[in-house]
Formats: sequence, structure tokens, C-alpha cells
Amino acid sequence: MKNQLNFRYIFLALLSVFVLTAGFQNVYAQKAKKNKVRLKAQYIKIMDGESFIDIKATSKIKKQNITVSGIDVIVFNELEDDRIKLGTVTTNMKGEGRFVFKNFNSIQADSSNTYTIYLSFKGNETFKKAKKSISFMNADIIAKMVIKDSVNYISARLSDPVTDTPLEGESLTIQVQRLFGPLILGDEFNDIDDDGTIFVPVEEGIPGVDGILTFEVVLNDSDDYGTVKALIEAPIGTAIIDESTFDKRTMWSPRNKTPLFLLIFPNLLIIGIWGLIVYLIINLFKISKTKN
Amino acid sequence: MKIQEKLLNDLAPRKFDKLGVIWTSALILLIIAGVIAYIDQIIKGQVVTNMRDYALWGIYISNFVFFVATSFVGSVIVAILRLTHNEWRTPLVRVAEIITLASIVMAGITITLDMARPDRLLNLFIYARIQSPITWDVIIIPTTIAISFLLLYFPLLPDLAILKDHFKDKKPRLSRWYGRFSLNWRGTTVQKAIQTKSIKIIAIMIVPIGLMLQTIDAWLFSTTYRIGWDSTNMGAYFIAGAVVAGVAALIVVLFVVRKTKKLENYITELHFDKLGKLLALACLIYLYFNMNEYLIPSYTPSTGEEIHLKTLFTGSYSFLFWLVTIGGLILPVLFLLFKKGRKPLPMFFIGLVVVICSWWKRYIIITPTLLHPFLPIQGVPESWHHYFPSLHEWLITIATLAMALLIITILVRYLPVVPIQRTADEQEKLNNEKH
Amino acid sequence: MKEQENNANNSRRSFLKKGIALGAFSATALAIASFQKDDVDETGEKVKLLSPEGEIVEIDKAYVKPAQDLHLPLDSKKIREGIPNRKFVMVIDLARCKNALNCVSACNKHHHITGKNAWLKVYKMQESKDTAPYWMPSTCQHCDQPACVTVCPVDATFKRRDGLVLVDNERCIGCRFCMAACPYSARVFNWEEPDQGEITMNMDMNMTQHASTPEHAGLPSVKGTVDKCDFCPHAIEKGELPHCVSACPNGVFYFGDKYEDTVTNGDETLRLGKLLEDKAGYRLMEGLNTQPSVFYLPPKERSDDFKDGLDKYKKFQSVEKPEQS
Repeated sequence: MKNQLNFRYIFLALLSVFVLTAGFQNVYAQKAKKNKVRLKAQYIKIMDGESFIDIKATSKIKKQNITVSGIDVIVFNELEDDRIKLGTVTTNMKGEGRFVFKNFNSIQADSSNTYTIYLSFKGNETFKKAKKSISFMNADIIAKMVIKDSVNYISARLSDPVTDTPLEGESLTIQVQRLFGPLILGDEFNDIDDDGTIFVPVEEGIPGVDGILTFEVVLNDSDDYGTVKALIEAPIGTAIIDESTFDKRTMWSPRNKTPLFLLIFPNLLIIGIWGLIVYLIINLFKISKTKN
Repeated sequence: MKIQEKLLNDLAPRKFDKLGVIWTSALILLIIAGVIAYIDQIIKGQVVTNMRDYALWGIYISNFVFFVATSFVGSVIVAILRLTHNEWRTPLVRVAEIITLASIVMAGITITLDMARPDRLLNLFIYARIQSPITWDVIIIPTTIAISFLLLYFPLLPDLAILKDHFKDKKPRLSRWYGRFSLNWRGTTVQKAIQTKSIKIIAIMIVPIGLMLQTIDAWLFSTTYRIGWDSTNMGAYFIAGAVVAGVAALIVVLFVVRKTKKLENYITELHFDKLGKLLALACLIYLYFNMNEYLIPSYTPSTGEEIHLKTLFTGSYSFLFWLVTIGGLILPVLFLLFKKGRKPLPMFFIGLVVVICSWWKRYIIITPTLLHPFLPIQGVPESWHHYFPSLHEWLITIATLAMALLIITILVRYLPVVPIQRTADEQEKLNNEKH
Repeated sequence: MKEQENNANNSRRSFLKKGIALGAFSATALAIASFQKDDVDETGEKVKLLSPEGEIVEIDKAYVKPAQDLHLPLDSKKIREGIPNRKFVMVIDLARCKNALNCVSACNKHHHITGKNAWLKVYKMQESKDTAPYWMPSTCQHCDQPACVTVCPVDATFKRRDGLVLVDNERCIGCRFCMAACPYSARVFNWEEPDQGEITMNMDMNMTQHASTPEHAGLPSVKGTVDKCDFCPHAIEKGELPHCVSACPNGVFYFGDKYEDTVTNGDETLRLGKLLEDKAGYRLMEGLNTQPSVFYLPPKERSDDFKDGLDKYKKFQSVEKPEQS
């Protein structure tokens, strides 16, 4: 009897192991197929505007880099050993997401005035969990347009907002906003002097809608300060002139803008000829209706 | 005026004999085959043709151009000969008018067969842009159909009245139909006055309308940049070609009608002789335009022109090119220069050859140009570098030709092919002059 | 004592038995639960769709949401007028083109081109036997004096204020006059029902259907109508570059607004006027007076040998068949 019992135990044990592994098989199987996600983060601050973190999620599947869309990335403010949750961002169809800081007071810096942001993705059926941490210090760019000897210049100062001391060893880029991306004016890197300032002439003859141009003074992707941008809107551009023939009467315009010659002459011909045809048809009726 | 019994018996429509029935049945069968092919084309799309992105127009368009060209015969025979006081045209005008009407109606049908979205036909009227040559076509074709119909109908009225009386006893139902269409014609002074005035107006109108039709058809090609199409010659070239095709078609139909209806006394050898001379003249003028179109560019050809002309003179289209030029124009002229060549039977064969070559001539105008675009043909299957019509295209095209012949056949069956009243009037005038 | 032992043994046994049974049960339940998807009632009816990646996928009809009009209605004036204050131009640097064909693949994919003729083709050009051969990508030139628009009888193709020439596939009657008129062989025709899947959709996250619009040509392609490069208004409206421009690994394509005098290839952003002056830009078939919007930079000081591109050159093919998944 003991043997029987033993057999029963063994049988049950084997059965349960089988079922258990069968039950968890898909989980194991999925775990084996999960792909790694790489999170990229960039901190951007716009003077007198928003500050945000641009997140991009990519993954290498079958040796191809693809974007990971629709995943939730949680944004934390890391402080010493604490992680304060700030919010969540879901990546869009291109794998990109943007987390905007409501205001700078919502995040705290540590003792060295460095803010650390920690991003975490918990993982899902297809992807493993991922994390990314970026740190930056706060920096300010104060920029303005000045005219000296009837030449336009951009004057900008990069400084620490708390101490108002110039930040050394950085360079700024001057660019003008264009539809598909900014156009860099002058040198790509203008080194700041000891005062933390740059003084760069702006070329003439940059076209813009109604002559209004939006310039950007940018600290581009610095290791310590992230990206900081100051915007200057100035009406110093050349106004664009609409060269399109859309409003004119041309051979390629839609029918409501037909050239007058084609509108008048063919229609006169048509009316003349069909007028005669109608007259002839009336004549047929007249013939049919004549009395003896 | 009482029409002579003999005249009436000779000219009145008669029932079809066996040959006529076989002929009509064959035409109907061809048309049915074409309709089936067309339905298949609608269902599957124009992929059933061999047209592709480079040979984007094919025999549907060249067939259309052929029909447009043939429809010019009305303007030539009825109007131009009238305005130039060529009285021998009388027995020919009815057939000419019939061919014109049949051709222009088939032209309108054929062009819609080429549209890939015939379900959107109304867009051509609702959204028409008058800057487009196709819109000009959409305007001129219905106009020509209307005027061609009137050109046939007005002179027909007295004959319909005559036939109503003629068939009153033997075929009362048919007689009633003639009666209805005769619009109460009794030959009163008032009616004659209206008719005469109307015919005069139509005869004057149809010349510019016919010329505009041919020219607009030519402009479908010369308004593009393509080598071989972008020619200032095109309008006049097409007009001359239309005279050739129209007169040749007239000769062919006349011969058949004359034989089957035994009208040798009315459509005499004189008429064939005159038509022969007219055809020869037309061919010579057309040859002149051909020289301007092909010989002169070869004097200082641009790169594209050289390729195009080489293809026609010695290349893949050379057989067709020389066939339509020598066989379709030069040889006929040579034969027609001799009196023997202008007898009815030789004329029939010459006319047939000219008509067939006219059809292929339009194929030569359209296809080679499309296969020599400005940028090289790359990135498409090898078959797209060539074009020869598919079975569907042949069936549909043959069906349109059959339908044109059917329309002519039916009209020739029920209408007097030689105008009865007019012939009677002219005979009376001749008799009066004799006395 | 033996009885106690037996009782203890018995209770242990029964506990073990129950435990194992419970474990087995919950494991099975978990297994079954993990196979469940979202709570949508699958109809069992599958539809074939073309995914944004250019693959044909089959999914249950239940996951497909009905059409939502996310684009402007077709006869909206705005679609036919275009974006104000812009004139889009493209610059193609022939000195850099190596016939990589990334542009062609990207265009074919994003417009779901399944015919046998691509809208963007890279030509193997050689003007004469004495001049050097080069690779020339060619799109629709979006001419300022477009012959195709002039000859269209129904206003199905139109020229916008922002320079784009687009096609309204709902209006087109398939007469192909525009194709006859275009000297750049830029247009293709849908001779049969396009093989884009049963319902062609621009699948986004929620799998909603987008209405056919001239601003995203090819979605769907309509049987019996014409198609061509549209300069990707669906992308440029969002401030993104057309797909060919972003796909090129060699920076061949520049795109931008002529009024802003700026073009970019994704990496370099340059003044258009200066680029054309420095590199002697020209336009194709300038003598025809079509006034194209595409500029070419001559193949001078080429970065690579022309022959290196011959491997990928396929004289008789420009569209890869979409992969079946």
C-alpha cells in the first residue's frame, strides 16, 4: 500500500510540475523573446517658456533599429536616495515622448545644484524593462538684439541663474527658426568670453513672413546644462513676396480662374453655333406644324 | 409632283437578301464579343489592355482619331462640293451623310471606352475646365453629332414622305413610321422654304464645325511636349488626313451599296471617276503634309527627333510606316492617275486599302511617340517597353468598327441612299431644259 | 503512537495532495488567463491590411475601427489652396547619389505603392557617350507651369499656392492626358485594383481609418486613376521632411521653403540661394519652360564611383513586392 501511495504522490507531483510548467511556459517563452529598449533623454529649457525632457525609445530587432511606440515611461525626480514620481509619458508612433515640467519649483536639485531625472519603463510582453538617468544644472541665457553702426547684432549672456556668475567653457549657437529646422547663422560655435557673453552680427537679407524672424540663441546639448534656448523675435528680415500664380488667371488654374480669352471666345462660339442648331430644330417643328 | 414609278422602284429601300442578313448577323456577333470584352475591362480594369504607364494611349485612341477623321466626309461631299457648285454630288450625299453620322457617333462612344473611370463621365460636364483640349473635344463632338444629324435629316424629309406613300399598301406599319419621321411633309411652299433655308445654313455651318473638329482632335497631341506630337503642322495635317480617310470610306461604301441595290444608273462610273480624282488630290495634299511632318525634321533633327524618325524610317515601326505611306498614299495616287484606275471595281480596292492604311496611320502617329519619352524608360517591366494591342483591345475596337458598319447598314437599309426627291427634281429640270 | 504517526502522515498526505491540486489548478488557470487578449469579441473574420512598415498583416475585423474624418473634406478649399506663405522646393545633389535606393524604398513603403512603377525613380543617366554617366533620382517636379494641370479636363490635378501639384483620386476620370503631357514621366497609372489589402488604412495606434485625401497620395490608390509623388504634404504639414529626404543615407535630397530661402537634408540646413550658386544648381529640361520646383546639383567631385551603384541597378524593376506576414 505504501508503494501505491508513493506512486500516487509521484504521479501527482509529476502532473503538477507538468501543468505548472505548461502554464508558465508562455511566460518563459515570452521572457526569452523580449527585446531590449534603449531610452534616450534630452533636457531642453526654453527661456521664458517651458522646460521639458524629450524621450526617445528605440530597440534593435533583427539587426534593425526601430522606434518603440506606445510604452509608458515614468519620470522621477531623483534626490539623494529618494525618487519622487513626477508623471508618466507615453511614446507616440515615432517612439518619442515629451515630459513638460510644470514649473521649475516642481523639481528639486541636490546639494551641488544638480537636478537628476530618472526615467523608468517597467517592461511589457515584448520589451524588457529599461531605465535612463540624466542630470543637469540650471542655466540662463539672456539674449537681445542690438543695433550698432546700423548693423544688427545679437548679444547674449550665459549665466547661472542663482549666482548670476558666467558659465565658463561653453559655446553658443545663433540660429534662425525655419520650417524644417533652424538655420545656423555664422559659426556653429561662438565661444563665450570671460563675461559669459557673445556678440554676433546678424546677416542681412534673411527672408521671413512679413519680415518677422525668430532667432534662437542655443546652448546645444551641453554635458552639464542640457540644452538651453533663448528666443528673440525681430522684424529685421526681408518680407517674403508670394510668387505663386494661384490667384491669377492662367492656363493651369482651376476653372474659376480661367483666362478671359478662353472664357469669352469659346463660349461665344458655342452659344452662336448651338443657337443656330436650336433654330434649326425649331424649324423642324415648324415644318411639322405647317397647315395646308 | 408625282415621282416616276421607275425612279421610285429603283431607289426605294428593299428588304435584305440573304447576304444582307448574314452581314448584319456577323456585325452583331462582333459587337456582342466586344461588349463582353468591355464588361471584362470594366470589372478588371484597363490592365486587360496592353497599355501601361509609357504606352498610355493605344488603339482606343487611334481608333477614335480614325472615326473623327472619317466623319469629315460630310463636310467635304455635302458642303464643300456644294459651295463649289459640283452638282454631280447629288447621288452621293446621302451615303456621305450616313457615314458622317455613324462615324461621329462612334467617335463619341469610342473615346468613352478609353476612359478608365466611365462611372465618372459626368465629371467631364460638371467640373469641365475649358483650358483643357479634352473639354474642347467634349464640346465639339456633340455639336458635330447634332449638326450631322440635321444634315442628314432635313434633306430626308421629302423622301420620307414619298416612302410613306410608297409603302402604304404593301407595308402599312413601315409606312406609318416613315410618316411619323417625315414630320408632316407635304411639299408646301412654306415647308420647302424652311427646308431650303435650313439646309443652306447647315451646309455653311458644317464646314467650320468639321474643320474645328479635326483641328481640336489634332490639338490633343500637339498641346503636349512630346517629340512627334509637338508639331505646328498638326491641325492642317489632320484636316488633310480626314479628307483622305473620309473620301476613301465613301468610295468603299458607295461601291457596296451600288452593287447590292443595283444603283448603277444613279451612281455611275462618272461619279467614281470624279471621286477618284478627288481622292488623288486629297492624297497628294496629305503627302505634302507628311513631307513637312517627317522629311523636314530629318534635315536637322534634334536627339529626340532623330530617335523618333529612325524608329519610323528603319526601326521597329518601319514596316507600318512605309506601308501606310507607300501603300496607303503613294500607290493609290499612282493608280488613280489613270482612267482605268478610276473605274468602280479598282476604286473599291484602292479605297479599301486607303481606309485600312488610314486606320494604321493613326496608330503610327500615336504609339511610337509614347515609347520615346524624354527620360529613359527604366524601372518598369520589359514588356512595358513595347506595345501591341491585347485581345480585349482588338475585340473592343473591332466591335466599334462593326457598330459603325451596323449603323451604316441599318440606315442604308431603311433610307433611300440616293435622294429620291432631289433626283426627281433634277431630272425634271433636265427635261425642262431639253424642251 | 503508531496511530498518531499514521494520523500525522495522513494529514500531511492530504495537505500535500490538496496543495499540489491547488497548485496545479492555479497554474492551469494562470496559463489559460495569460492566453487571453483584450476584451474584444473577435468576429473570426480576418482582413488584410497594409501596416505602416509596408507589410501585409492579417488581423481580426473586430480590431478595426470605422473611419474617422481626421483630414479635411476633399472639396475643402484648404486642400486645394495649400499652406499659405510657403513655396516648397527640393534640391537633389547628384554628386552624392550612389543609387542606394533608400529613397525609393521609403517612398514605396510610405505610400503603399504596390504597382510596377515607382513614383520616385533613380535613373541611370548618360547624355552622350562622351559624357560621364551618373545616378539621377527623379520625382514629380511640381512645376510652376504644370502641363499636366493645364490639360486635365476635370480639375482632378491641381496646383496649390504652396507649389505642390496634387491629385484628387475621387475626381479623376482616367483619361491619362496628364500622363501624356508630363515630360518627366512622373506619373503612374492604376491599371487595375491596387493590391494594397482589402481595406487600406493608415494604421495608427488605434487602427482608425483615414479618408482618402490628395494630401497623402496612395492611401488608398484608386483603380483607374493617376498617382504621383506628392512631396508628402501629410509630413510637411507636421514640420517633418518628406520620406525620401529623411531616408537618404547620403544626404542627396534637400527640401525646404523657397520663400525662407532655406533647405535641409536632415543634417545640413543651408541657404537655398547660396547652395544653388555655390554648386551651380539647375533644373531638368529648363528649355521646356515648365518651371520645375526641383533643383539639381551637378555630379561634380563625386563622393563615390558611378560603378558602385550598378549592383543595385534594376532596369526592369522599381517596386519591391510587399512582404507577406
